Amino acid sequence: MSRLVAVAANTFRETVRERVLYNLVFFAILMTLSGLLLGQLSIRQDEKILKDIGLAAMDLFGTLIAIFIGTGLVSKEIERRSLYPLLAKPLTRGEFFLGKFAGLAFTLLVNVAVMTAGLALTLLATGRRPALALLGAVYPILLGLLLVVAFAMLFSTQTSAALAAVLTVGVVVAGRFADVVRNMREVAPDVPPWLAEGLYAVLPNFQNFDFKDKVAYGDPVPGGVLAWVTIYGVVWIAIVLCLGLVSFRSRDFQ
Amino acid sequence: MTWRLALLLVLLVPAVPWSQAQIDRRAGAFRVQEEVLYLWSGTRVKRFFPGFEDVAADLYWLRTVQYFGGQRLFAANKRFELLRPLIEISTTLDPRLEMAYRYGAIFLSEPSPIGAGRPREGIEVLETGVRNLPGSWRLRQDLGFFNYLYLHDSERAAAILNEAAALPGAAFWLRTLAADLLAKGGDRAASRRMWQQMFDQAEAGIIKENARMRLQILDSLDRGDRLSRLAAEFQRQRGRLPARLDELRVAGLWNGPLVDAADVSFGYDPKTGRVFIDKASPMWRPE
Repeated sequence: MSRLVAVAANTFRETVRERVLYNLVFFAILMTLSGLLLGQLSIRQDEKILKDIGLAAMDLFGTLIAIFIGTGLVSKEIERRSLYPLLAKPLTRGEFFLGKFAGLAFTLLVNVAVMTAGLALTLLATGRRPALALLGAVYPILLGLLLVVAFAMLFSTQTSAALAAVLTVGVVVAGRFADVVRNMREVAPDVPPWLAEGLYAVLPNFQNFDFKDKVAYGDPVPGGVLAWVTIYGVVWIAIVLCLGLVSFRSRDFQ
Repeated sequence: MTWRLALLLVLLVPAVPWSQAQIDRRAGAFRVQEEVLYLWSGTRVKRFFPGFEDVAADLYWLRTVQYFGGQRLFAANKRFELLRPLIEISTTLDPRLEMAYRYGAIFLSEPSPIGAGRPREGIEVLETGVRNLPGSWRLRQDLGFFNYLYLHDSERAAAILNEAAALPGAAFWLRTLAADLLAKGGDRAASRRMWQQMFDQAEAGIIKENARMRLQILDSLDRGDRLSRLAAEFQRQRGRLPARLDELRVAGLWNGPLVDAADVSFGYDPKTGRVFIDKASPMWRPE
């Protein structure tokens, strides 16, 4: 366990050194500009638009980090051959793989937490009261990001970082179009039902993690729904991490 | 070598604002972007932003406000062609964007050059809003107002105001206003109440200013009517209509100003004795 934590801590330090958290500067600039300008431009919609922009930025920046850092976590270590001396030490492949995942998950947690604080401060600065309800959208976003990291790491165990990024983007985009996949027979009736249903079942539905709209309009996000989203997210993450582990363990590095 | 590069930079940097100024001088500092993301249908735009529809709707809405303001203030030929598609894209991306329906309808309905002068389209936008947000009494209230104010359909307006009154949280006066519309078939007092409500409900900005101007127009129309009645009184007393409006003052019938709310002199037809808002006044609106 301590070895896993050591890998995770090292991964976090590595992402900080790679200036991943610099995206927070962009976020700060974005929120400051939005706070200053939206009151003039939006006509009474500034609070809603501030929340939209803040939450969308969390989702977008987080997804980009999850894909582009996630795909490099394993593949770069393989390409740079820095993995070999690590595995020669008393460190299992599983500890290495899960440690990397935990490290990037912690980076994303820090990123999302700072962004949430930034959004709350912007709302305060513009005379609005940031509600705890914001977390109803932030938490599912974080869960979705962890699933993206899991996919990025799964693909990076077998391919280059670039190809893994392309594959991960494909899964994320398809997952965000889950409703289109489910209803594809309405526009393409020739598609066999088993294909549409099969694809819908196999693809992770990233729409499940999207409560931005509800929170921006002040609608409640029921705890029961969040609980099921948590179960859905955790199960998916566990499956993808297991597949990644199997793939990583079976890879011959000689 | 370094000093040459530095010299080149010193020469090049001012060239940027200079060339920009030249472009602005030739093309105008404000250039309406007619292409506005070459407007796809809202449904198609929606497919490009999976998971980010709301923020895309916000961007389109900001673009709509910018486009409307730009056309209204800067464009030589105010055309507003892209207004309706922009509003539709915003509301397709986020069907709950209530302000887009309410403000969009005003932008579309107000007569040119204040707005696009297309009240039927404004009403269609509100009807879409009512379908998408069936619980919003404010949207129904606006739909009722617009049917009366722009289409002069008091029966339909009254029916919609009654529907609005039945919704939870609706203002208490909606039913009495609907009853007045049905009883009197609509009059200036009803218009005044509607614009007064819009003025009271709106926050500072375009809508409030528009409502304020509408109230001033009604004040000007009232004052013009009063002057017309005094011209008739003048005729009854003197056996002729006044040749000029200031004769009413000389005759002691009127001691107030002979201007409308924008301080522009009223027009006067000495043959009929009718007093009207001059076309040159910002208070003038087509009948």
